[in-house]
Amino acid sequence: MNVLDIRGLTKKFGDFVAVDNISFKVGEGEIFGFLGANGAGKSTTINMICSLLQPSGGEIRILDRDIKTQSRFAKQSLGIVPQDLAIYEDMTAYENVSFFAGLYGLRGGQLKERTEEALAFVGLGDKAKSFPKTFSGGMKRRLNIACAIAHKPKLIIMDEPTVGIDPQSRNYILASVRKLNESGCTIIYTSHYMEEVEEICSRIAIVDHGKIIAEGTKEQLTATVTDVKDIVIELKTATGGEAERLTGLPGVRKASQEENVIRIHSDASVDNLNRILKRLMEGDSEIRAVEEREPNLEMVFLTLTGRNLRD
Amino acid sequence: MITWLITVKEIKQHFRDFRTFIFLLGFPIVLMLILGITLTNAFSSEMQLNDIKVLVRDSSSAGLSEAFKAFEKELGATGIAFEQLKPGEDGRKAIEDNRYTAYVEVSDAGMSQYGSSRSAIESNIVQGMLSTFADKYNAAAAVTRDGDPSKAELVFANAGSGDYVKELSIAADRSPGSMDYYAMAMTVMVGLWGAMSVGGLIRSEIVRGTGIRLLSAPIRRGEIYVGKVLGNVVANTLCILAIVFFSKWVFNAYWGAHLPVVFAVLVSEVIMATSFGIAANELVKGGGGRALVMLVVQLTSFIGGAYFPVDDSGVMGLVSWLSPIRWGNEALTNIVYGCNLAAAWPAIGLYLGAALLLLLATASMRRNKEGF
Repeated sequence: MNVLDIRGLTKKFGDFVAVDNISFKVGEGEIFGFLGANGAGKSTTINMICSLLQPSGGEIRILDRDIKTQSRFAKQSLGIVPQDLAIYEDMTAYENVSFFAGLYGLRGGQLKERTEEALAFVGLGDKAKSFPKTFSGGMKRRLNIACAIAHKPKLIIMDEPTVGIDPQSRNYILASVRKLNESGCTIIYTSHYMEEVEEICSRIAIVDHGKIIAEGTKEQLTATVTDVKDIVIELKTATGGEAERLTGLPGVRKASQEENVIRIHSDASVDNLNRILKRLMEGDSEIRAVEEREPNLEMVFLTLTGRNLRD
Repeated sequence: MITWLITVKEIKQHFRDFRTFIFLLGFPIVLMLILGITLTNAFSSEMQLNDIKVLVRDSSSAGLSEAFKAFEKELGATGIAFEQLKPGEDGRKAIEDNRYTAYVEVSDAGMSQYGSSRSAIESNIVQGMLSTFADKYNAAAAVTRDGDPSKAELVFANAGSGDYVKELSIAADRSPGSMDYYAMAMTVMVGLWGAMSVGGLIRSEIVRGTGIRLLSAPIRRGEIYVGKVLGNVVANTLCILAIVFFSKWVFNAYWGAHLPVVFAVLVSEVIMATSFGIAANELVKGGGGRALVMLVVQLTSFIGGAYFPVDDSGVMGLVSWLSPIRWGNEALTNIVYGCNLAAAWPAIGLYLGAALLLLLATASMRRNKEGF
């Protein structure tokens, strides 16, 4: 059964088409990666699924029911972990989870039990009486998740749940996502960290300029990019501007630089490694390591959109 | 039930915001204290009288002269000084020179009084006393003419000793002192502050990001609004209750014997203020709505008599009726000092009517809008 079924979904803001006639399905038990650069239409789509925005056209069905006509049922089946923290700093962790769970109709003993369960699930059981203002960024992110899961939704939308947190909390959250999935939750997951998506998502859709430009498993998507390769060069020291010197070389589609690491997106058919290294050494760059990478999601994204996910 | 959940959350957050709580309670109490003390004299109903000195020229026959001397003696005990006109002295000139309050000429033909315009009140008091004396003397003379002198004594005896001036007032028995006035005015003003706190109700959810959770929950937008508005009304009403009882017990402000009716007026004011806050923030989005509310609250507080009593006469008197604070002040004054409970109805009617109009206007502006 499809937990989410989107058909011809469109959203216009005046003349601007933010989401352009997209269709996709998310099956029960999937972790569905929804990727797109800023402004691609990803958040607008999520907002429409959550009934925060009204579609200009198309249909959204959750558990086979149209959210327009059966909004209450759809909302009841949905849990949302927004990108920005959505918690009350002046209420304790327990009060936060309990309040939001209460909005879904939980009362009395059941509410107490589910609140405690959700807090324990994200590892905040011993912080129930603490105020979020005393929490670290990672703990707040975990509380953000607890507020979305206490009512046991069938479908959870996680919009960049690991943004801006330490690696330890990030690992904890990724493990929590897997556990939630194993317990029967279907998850829609968005992230700017491609490695996270590769690690946990069973199927992925890439959205660009309001349209879905690719959809499939990681293997299916990477198989589509046989004509490109990624070369990663690590320099001993970088003076800046090294990546710019590589543009224009035969086969080089894009070169970007983060400190002393240069990533080159290039045509697979062109044997240009020697030229690239020569150009760098002409500029007095000392090379520490060179790696030619297997096709991955980042490569797929760059090939299809011409942008990095974090652009 | 969900509405109540939101209401409880709002109340909890309202009182956990320590700075707002201090501002809501502390500011009016301090203002009440400062204005109440510094403007005490402006509310004093006591009148200061100068010493009363009466110059007398008595050329009457024995009967009247004797009675007048008794009158002088009796009033002398109350502090009014009578002096006889010295030979060669001009009584009227003495009045013109402001050396005496009044000059009285007593003769068998009657009594004449010349009063000083510079001591008009004191002069009027003397006139009233002389008039009373003349009435009693004439009554006694009439009785004596019937042939029974003992009845004449009865006339003076029944009149009661010193009963020459009777204090009558068309004003209420009690009128507000400065602390009473400011306790009432500040409380009514705090009621209007409900408009300021409501501005943050929706904005805070957007800023905190929690608006997304609220709107994606299986509840209607209307339930969220009603819950929040109720929370604001209850929280502000609790603040008002605190201010009323604080002023009553600490500043001894008089709140009359009909507190439930007083609270009914104040609660209806808070409902109106909350509705105004919602409408203003709907009309002007962002910080502009808050600024508009602040401006209107301060302006209406000023013209409505929150800081200084409003004079009923003139243009300002008319303009003051545009302020909801004036509606509340007027109603509460009548309820507290005139025991006129019916005075609550116009104020409650105006407040709730305005609230209804503002909410309808907001609903109309919100129609077909997405999000908050």
